Amino acid sequence: VTHQPRLPLPARWLLWPSPVPRESRAEVHADLLELFVQRRRDRGAVHAHWRLYRDVASLWLHPQPMGRTGAPRSTLAVLHDVRGDLKYAVRLFARQPAILLLTIVGLSLGLGIATAAFSMMNAAVLRGEGVVDPDRAPAILRSTDRSVATAWVSDEFLHLREGSTRMQVEAVLMEGARVGMAASEVDAPVRDVAFVSGGFFSATGGRVIAGRPLQHADEQQTGLPPVVVSYVFWTSTLHRDPNVVGRTIRIGRTDATIVGVAERGFSVPNNRLLWMPLTAHHAVYSTEHSAPPIIPRVLVEVFGRLLPNVSLAEAEAQLSGVAAALPGVATTGESAVRVKLDPHTGLGRMSSSDALGITVFVFAVIGLVLLLAGANVATVLISTAITREREMGVRAALGASRWRIVRQLVTESLALGTIAATIGLAFAHWAIPVIATMIEAPAGVDLAPDLTVYVFLGIVTLVSGVGAGLAPAWHGRGADLLTPLKGEGARQNRVAPQRLRSLLVITQAAVSVLLIVLATLFVRAALRAATVDAGFDATGLYAVSVGLGSSGDGSVGIRNFWARAISELQDVPGVAAVTLTEFTPFGDGFKHSITRETPARVVYLNRTRAEYFETLGLRVLDGRTFTRGEIVTKAPVALVSQSLARTYWHGQSPLGQILPQEIPLPPTTAPGKTSVIPAPRPVIIGVVADAITARLHERSAFAVYEPLDPASEIFARLIIRVAPGTTGIVQQVSQRLRAIDPQANVTIGSVAAKLEQEAARPRMLATLTGFVGLIAIVLCVIGLYGLTASVVGQRAREMGVRVALGAEPRDLLRLLMWDSLRPVVIGLAIGAGAALLAGRVVVAAMFFGVSPQDPMAFVGAAAILIASATLAVLVPTRRAASVDAAFVLRRT
Amino acid sequence: MKGERLGEFEEFTLLAVRALGDHTYAVPVQQYVEKVTARPTSIGSIYAALARLEQKGFLRSTMSEAVAQRGGKSKRVYTVTPSGLRTARDLHRVRERIWNAITEGGRP
Repeated sequence: VTHQPRLPLPARWLLWPSPVPRESRAEVHADLLELFVQRRRDRGAVHAHWRLYRDVASLWLHPQPMGRTGAPRSTLAVLHDVRGDLKYAVRLFARQPAILLLTIVGLSLGLGIATAAFSMMNAAVLRGEGVVDPDRAPAILRSTDRSVATAWVSDEFLHLREGSTRMQVEAVLMEGARVGMAASEVDAPVRDVAFVSGGFFSATGGRVIAGRPLQHADEQQTGLPPVVVSYVFWTSTLHRDPNVVGRTIRIGRTDATIVGVAERGFSVPNNRLLWMPLTAHHAVYSTEHSAPPIIPRVLVEVFGRLLPNVSLAEAEAQLSGVAAALPGVATTGESAVRVKLDPHTGLGRMSSSDALGITVFVFAVIGLVLLLAGANVATVLISTAITREREMGVRAALGASRWRIVRQLVTESLALGTIAATIGLAFAHWAIPVIATMIEAPAGVDLAPDLTVYVFLGIVTLVSGVGAGLAPAWHGRGADLLTPLKGEGARQNRVAPQRLRSLLVITQAAVSVLLIVLATLFVRAALRAATVDAGFDATGLYAVSVGLGSSGDGSVGIRNFWARAISELQDVPGVAAVTLTEFTPFGDGFKHSITRETPARVVYLNRTRAEYFETLGLRVLDGRTFTRGEIVTKAPVALVSQSLARTYWHGQSPLGQILPQEIPLPPTTAPGKTSVIPAPRPVIIGVVADAITARLHERSAFAVYEPLDPASEIFARLIIRVAPGTTGIVQQVSQRLRAIDPQANVTIGSVAAKLEQEAARPRMLATLTGFVGLIAIVLCVIGLYGLTASVVGQRAREMGVRVALGAEPRDLLRLLMWDSLRPVVIGLAIGAGAALLAGRVVVAAMFFGVSPQDPMAFVGAAAILIASATLAVLVPTRRAASVDAAFVLRRT
Repeated sequence: MKGERLGEFEEFTLLAVRALGDHTYAVPVQQYVEKVTARPTSIGSIYAALARLEQKGFLRSTMSEAVAQRGGKSKRVYTVTPSGLRTARDLHRVRERIWNAITEGGRP
């Protein structure tokens, strides 16, 4: 064996990225080597090295293409090469349509799901609602010794706005109102409206694509109130009317003139569809005609925009000074009001933990599916790469460089990726509305993919395409020229590729198991949720909201309305009970208190009439309910739920005791005044049976019920219990209420339906993960089948030899099966471990008490995976095991 | 750009190809130029000069058969074209006339 001189390694490395054209590189390499060898012989190694590196450097200084007549290689020429690659890829795929189809199906499913998931997350979390520079638009929180609240009385807001020198202070009030095209329209849908102060658009940075945003002058506007509509409202309800500005629509009890259309993506706060001045609130809800534009005396959410070069702390200190001097606070005995600026809340911003939870979950699903799709394509390409080893050998022998071969492989997988991405995008377009209905996305959310989504898809396609192409190239690294040319016989004992293939199968198996375990857990959670005992019978319960708004015509009118409504409804045949309450079970809102303990508990707060308990069917276990006097005087008394009483009084009677300090209560308004006072600690007068009335999955039956005083009745709703077997009650109730007030916005909703919806949440997650899990299994089976088929084909000769030596087909089958299934089993173990972790960390709250270690889920997932993997492996191995030894051995 | 004319280094390279008896390649040319000019010459500048000369039509190149000494790699061999030879000769004549004039007292 002669020792071949070689160029020193660093020189080879430096040569590779040099501007020398690729086709000349071998020649330059040979020249450098020749010079190097001669110089080393004549002048010694040091000189030879010194000159070598000088020569290599000179290639950068004189980047003249070698031996080329005419222009350097043009882009056109490169494109021509790529066209050749593509042509070759098409020819190759045409020869293996089955593998091509499997790959494209797998990739499109993966990319489609990833795109759909990403565009939902983009809409929900990443894109935000369009607040410009949100870190400088903090919520202004009302903070006292006892409480921190987002709500301020509107008078307080006006004082803050006048007194603030460091930031622009604005207010927003979120309500729903019936929005129709004309006053004559009956039962127009209820839409989310934001009533905002004049500087809202300038403070949030919201822009318009037509007309103008709301301005300060709009607060003083007399005549028809102005309204800005959202992009989604404009496209969906107004059908992209180009002459929309100046058009009149009906909002609540007034007509309003559209003055502008917000730009796409602006929906602050909480996916609003319409924005009106705060001063228009009165006109929308009041029964009085020609209501003057005044700011109603209600609770509003206040936020601000820091002026340039003002820090958060500076603005906070200045506003706290203003807040301390608020009139009316001192007289009510409340401790001084301070201001807390929080850039992470307000303006409908999701609390960061909520946002994070969703992000983590969605990203995990995206990542897993992509991993799977990528691994799947890589396995398919690798399995074809094995059979193509000979082809690659021939190409290399004919002078193709490694780069040239890699480029061929990457071009192929990118071509596949692009086709798959196109199908995937179509799939996503179809899937997004389906998923949106599944998760009950609010109407204001713009889910259509935008530029971010397209860029995401592009990058993912590129990365997965190049990755999937490089994997087989890596697999074929170090392939020598001769072995593949010699034929099939000499290709054994290649350890590294075996490991890579196993790794891919392990990944696929692990991801499939993880997803299926989660899906099974969610299915069990859904079953469990359906049987969660809410503590009351929801059938026949109806929640009635009457859009009276918080009109300024005094609560007398409202009180009269409720009094008439209750007495009339009680007379309706079939109505068993009627009551007034602040929050209806699983209704639009709820109020809760987080206890000052570790671990903190969630206690739901409600204000009700005495009949509430009877209407819901909650037994009073101890003590009594509210008296009429207690309700009218807003007496500091309360009923508590049984489990709360048991936790805090440990089996002793809580009657006559004060509600524990651990349970903070929000401040209230003093009777007849507009200022806010700290809530007095109520005395417990009764204990009622447990009931879950909000957020079913938390299963918290801790509740405190206080009397619903007349001043708070403007926000109240009715609950009606209908006797079993009665029909047509909804129409009757609606008619009766409209008879009392023709303008009333009556909405009647079934509590049972709400409960159903609440219980459906884990079902939605089960559908989602189950669907993705199913795709995962399909991808896994596709990959496993392709891989096994080709690997087993490779081992035909070995099988022939084994048969010749006396092996039974049964032995061969067992051997091949085990070899193919081993990575699946390893993946199974890894996936199960990951599922244990995921179940504990990410979604424990969604499980309705189903243990994340539920053995059923794990056994089920393992069984599904093993069964489908065995099926995938069985077909090709059986074929290989029934090999005809004589035929195989003679052929080679 | 020197257009269709020869620069000094290009001239050396062209003449070296001719002196080496044509059908020569970059390595001998580099060694020859380095020896006659007595200054270190990098292979990159030789490649550049050869490429420029070929572009100007003074050299012609072909790929040779693979040779065992070079690890089986083929090489690009250069031959001076008639136009290259003519240009080199013209240049030489111009120089000669000037030198003659110098020895004869400065008049051309």
